[in-house]
Amino acid sequence: MRNTLAIAWRELRTYFASPLAYVVIGVFVLLSGYIFWASLVRFSDLCLRFGNNPYVFNQLNVNDLVIRPLFGSIGVIFLLMLPAVSMRLLAEERRSGTAELLFTCPVTTLQIVLGKYLGAGLLLIVMLAITFVYPLLILTKVSPDMAPALVGYMGVLLMGLTILAVGLFVSSLTENQIVAAVGAFGANLLLWAIAWAAEAAESFTLAGLLNSATLGLWEKVGLGTGGPTLGDLLTRLSITEHFQDFRKGLIDTEHVVFFLTAIVFALFLTQRVLESRRWR
Amino acid sequence: MIEATGLTKIYGDRAAVKDVTFAVRKGEILGFLGPNGAGKTTTMRILTGFVPPTSGRARVAGFDVQDQPIEVKRRIGYLPEHPPLYTEMTVQPYLEFVATIRGVPRREVRARVDRALERCGLTAVRGRLIALLSKGYQQRVGLAQAILHEPDVLILDEPTVGLDPSQIREIRQLIRSFAGDHTVILSTHILAEVTMTCQRVLIINEGRIAAEDTLEGLASRGGRMRRIEIRLARPAGATEGLADIPGVLRVQRADGADGALVIETDGSRDLREEIAARAVGQNWGLLEMRTLTASLEDIFIRIIRGESA
Repeated sequence: MRNTLAIAWRELRTYFASPLAYVVIGVFVLLSGYIFWASLVRFSDLCLRFGNNPYVFNQLNVNDLVIRPLFGSIGVIFLLMLPAVSMRLLAEERRSGTAELLFTCPVTTLQIVLGKYLGAGLLLIVMLAITFVYPLLILTKVSPDMAPALVGYMGVLLMGLTILAVGLFVSSLTENQIVAAVGAFGANLLLWAIAWAAEAAESFTLAGLLNSATLGLWEKVGLGTGGPTLGDLLTRLSITEHFQDFRKGLIDTEHVVFFLTAIVFALFLTQRVLESRRWR
Repeated sequence: MIEATGLTKIYGDRAAVKDVTFAVRKGEILGFLGPNGAGKTTTMRILTGFVPPTSGRARVAGFDVQDQPIEVKRRIGYLPEHPPLYTEMTVQPYLEFVATIRGVPRREVRARVDRALERCGLTAVRGRLIALLSKGYQQRVGLAQAILHEPDVLILDEPTVGLDPSQIREIRQLIRSFAGDHTVILSTHILAEVTMTCQRVLIINEGRIAAEDTLEGLASRGGRMRRIEIRLARPAGATEGLADIPGVLRVQRADGADGALVIETDGSRDLREEIAARAVGQNWGLLEMRTLTASLEDIFIRIIRGESA
């Protein structure tokens, strides 16, 4: 535990000792702030315009029109920016030779992985904490429903942590930071867009695919070809699909479990990659 | 303290280390000597658990490097070839970080860091950014990092590389001061380093141990082999004329001055008188005669070339 925290703390210090943290936080706050401002302006414009139309006016809701789009945009910004945060985690360590220090110290590979991940995660939390001013700003004038906003925060946090975990894994595979960033971006974008083919893949059931892969043997032994389709599978793998309910203010354990599983799996793979050094 | 048995490391189709076996006693300073690329670094990386051996076993302080890596790492201080520095940190926090992950108890971290700073002459630069330190100071930070937790075993890969002569002397003194309490292995391709710091030498070449001896042992290998250089005014026929003296192995023309010959003898007895008598008798015009004792450098090169020393 002490080792993990020491590694995480050093990692966080390094972010803030280099321009990276400031650039990432600055750009992130600029973009999310602009988007927040734009939706707020649109919201007040709508309120003005429909002020004397009670039917429409009552439909206007600061949660739906300002907070919810904000989380959507934060999600996109995370997808684009977090690979820059995760790229250096292990790749830089290998390139600069400091990996030789970490791997010859009495720390386990799990402690290294968790420490690195925690360090990047803390930066993510700092980024998100700053955006907390936005709902607080709204709170000064109107009273939005804060519970869905908090759930939205939980959603973006889980998504950001997933993106970081995937990024950490990619970073463990290379010593080149650019490769790590591009790889992490690609892997996360794939998880982001994977459901886009879901509709087209509705007509294939998984059992049917296994049946053709085993040349009909599957059906002969009576396993059947019904059940979930490939489209279902792709939808279940998508970060975006699992994120939607959080934006609406819903906590569904299915989604929480998805993100946590993805994080644990990515960290597990990272740990295996580091451990493989011992038998390669 | 350290036992390595049959260590072999194969990268692709190239063996970096082949069947290396040696042992180091507690408190001893062992030097790994060998040309660049001989396998010194790989051997050290195996001992520290950074790289697994393809075959063979290594034990440090009674723990197996492969089976109980954490126990081994607790007892080792390691300075790799390139000091592993987080260059964006300042010296003191860097050392505090290393002390923490090396398992120094929280209460002692500050004191140990202070002590390491002092021993390595870093107190004045403790607040400076590592990236801005000179190569020599960076090397010292690397060394400080290795001795922080007062390990039983210190493994130093080319500790004086990139330092200026006065720094080299300081670092050597520092390393010598570890003898007794700590077991030290250091690698170098500079012979003088070994003579000044180590008690025992392991010469590694092309992944194999070419020789293992104490310094005195190595030097006496040179003593057994006597060489005599003479200079003649009229050397015609002398090369053949000297070869038949009993005990002469070989007569060669020396580089440089005309008429200079190097006579290699088997060292069983002193041949100088006979050579002089022969030279005078044959009227070669003996101008000069001196014995050449092989320096450690010569012995080293001969061992590396695989000649018998």
